[in-house]
Amino acid sequence: MNSSIVISNVSVIFGGGANAVKALDQVSLEIAQNEFFTLLGPSGCGKTTLLRCIAGFEIPSTGSIRLDGVALEGLPPFKRPVNTVFQSYALFPHLTVAQNIAFGLQERRVAKAEIERTVGRMLELVKLSGYGARKPAQLSGGQQQRVALARALANSPKVLLLDESLSALDLKLRQDMRLELKRLQRDTGITFVFVTHDQDEALTMSDRLAVMRSGQVAQIGTPSQIYDHPRSKYVADFIGDTNFLSGIVRDNRLETQSGFVPIPADLPQGSKQTVAVRPERLRLVSDGGDLRSRITQIVYMGNETMYHLEGDMRVRVPNNAGATPQYALGAEVGLVVPLSAVQPLEDAS
Amino acid sequence: MTRAAPTVKQRLERIDLLGRWGLILPAALMIFSFMALPMLVMALISILEPGNFGGVKWGAYSGDAYQKFILERDLSDHLVVNTDYLSIFSRSFSLSAVTTVLTLLLGFPSALYIALQPPKRRQILMFLVSIPFWTNLLVRTYSWILLLRNGGLIQSGLEVIGFRGSLNLLYTDFAVQVGLVYSFLPFMVLPIYTSLEKLDWRLVEAAFDLGANRWSALRRVILPLAAPGIASGCILVFIPALGSYFIPELLGGSRALMIGNLIQNQFGASRNWPFGAALSFALLAFVLVLMLLYALRFQRNLEAQS
Ligand SMILES: Nc1ncnc2c1ncn2[C@@H]1O[C@H](COP(=O)(O)OP(=O)(O)OP(=O)(O)O)[C@@H](O)[C@H]1O
Ligand SMILES: [Mg+2]
Repeated sequence: MNSSIVISNVSVIFGGGANAVKALDQVSLEIAQNEFFTLLGPSGCGKTTLLRCIAGFEIPSTGSIRLDGVALEGLPPFKRPVNTVFQSYALFPHLTVAQNIAFGLQERRVAKAEIERTVGRMLELVKLSGYGARKPAQLSGGQQQRVALARALANSPKVLLLDESLSALDLKLRQDMRLELKRLQRDTGITFVFVTHDQDEALTMSDRLAVMRSGQVAQIGTPSQIYDHPRSKYVADFIGDTNFLSGIVRDNRLETQSGFVPIPADLPQGSKQTVAVRPERLRLVSDGGDLRSRITQIVYMGNETMYHLEGDMRVRVPNNAGATPQYALGAEVGLVVPLSAVQPLEDAS
Repeated sequence: MTRAAPTVKQRLERIDLLGRWGLILPAALMIFSFMALPMLVMALISILEPGNFGGVKWGAYSGDAYQKFILERDLSDHLVVNTDYLSIFSRSFSLSAVTTVLTLLLGFPSALYIALQPPKRRQILMFLVSIPFWTNLLVRTYSWILLLRNGGLIQSGLEVIGFRGSLNLLYTDFAVQVGLVYSFLPFMVLPIYTSLEKLDWRLVEAAFDLGANRWSALRRVILPLAAPGIASGCILVFIPALGSYFIPELLGGSRALMIGNLIQNQFGASRNWPFGAALSFALLAFVLVLMLLYALRFQRNLEAQS
């Protein structure tokens, strides 16, 4: 892998003594040149802290960060070829939108005409042409967010750090900006490190993503690796909707309360095991099936129907115009569990 | 038909109207009786003829007091220009201006330093800044005499390291300047600190992120955002410094007069109340013009911002 950023064993500890907070705990990651890499995780898991380490605002207590093979240690933020779109936007209130976007270029002593051209191009990119003379206070939250994006992009950094940078936009605009960001990534060769809460965003935009959990990396992989093969209950639960089935391994099958489920061959006999199965990978049948259960709730969702079953199970069935049979509330049904849909989890609880 | 009950907004407005006048009245009374009224008396005095032993001759109107500021009668009763008083004005102006600049140069870094400390340390430091207010300024100015005079602490200290001869620091413009800077420094630090304390430091991080070094971040982000604090600091230092009386009186002696001393003199030794009143009005007019210029400029900035 042609690595752009190599993060090794980075820990960050806030405060001291009894109320010390380990915001990052031995985080190691490699992010490739021109990759769209996403950090995903619940609030307070250390996403912003990791970005701040890369940008140079936080000095890791241990570990190192390298950019294109150069250790960033001791390099102040203004000397790093990295720009940030801050979670709080951090637009300069005393400058106009255009002056905000020009700020970084002026610091680099770029020629005036060139600055003007770039600012115009950036405003167009974030669909704010004509807003150049406004002050940030005169913009809506979403517009401010786009100015923050334009201000960072104007410097054509090697690495762009985006901290929940699409969160304030409405659905339509967010989808446009997602496409725009992906196009930028292709066209510019910039490495994107993107922080989000939104799993859809993470799955659709990322080349790879890291799911974080209280300062640690729970799993790294491509969106399909993470979605189809979550290694832990935490990851499976955090991304998408999941059924968990627990039981004892016997004869290459998992013996659960409501039946037998096929599992991969390499699991030790007699051990306790939990597997994850996505609701859309299960199939409902009237007779037979691997598991038997009873329908407790039916939720119509337009393009599909969600069946809730006894034993905390959910099945999603596509609604293709009556082609699939409908089941009634309270009916006893069978569940077919394909082996390929079964993902054994490492944490057996 | 029932009458619509007053909306919450209407009710609030009614209370507001009552409350507004009720709240303003005491202050308005105070300002009228202790500021407007005395100033009217002063204005009246400034256009009367001086009494022979102080006071004024009531009913004898004259514009002499204002004329005296720039013109005087020579021996042959011709009016000639006299720059003595103007030069005292200009000395006062330059001493105050230098005081403002020096307190700004000393005060801004201090305020910035304090604002960058952790909250607890900040409180302690601001407490230290306020300590001079515990003792009377008069006493503190007297102690500068002990420091500056010939044979005083500064000279004795220099003698220890081999200096011989007298410095003659006291009763000079220098001594007055030192006294002014010393006594007005806290008035510069406090408002600047207040504006820096409110500053969103994430903006400074954003500036660093965009490639600005410390100096550049200071110049392009911190200074503009601290501008209101700096402006109030300058006003709080410059205007009182211009009218200062006992600092030049104690440290400047008879040689380094300022406007305040001149005015005091007219009501005291010179027994020319109208001239004293006229001088006060000249000072007032000068300050008003400066404030007006500042307000106009500031308003333009505000308009440009919104
Ligand atoms: N300056 C600080 N001092 C003390 N603790 C901090 C500081 N900054 C962050 N933390 C703590 O470190 C942890 C990680 O914070 P961080 O801001 O990285 O979370 P995050 O993943 O970005 O969350 P969110 O999604 O809500 O933005 C949190 O528990 C937070 O309380
Ligand atoms: Mg965050």
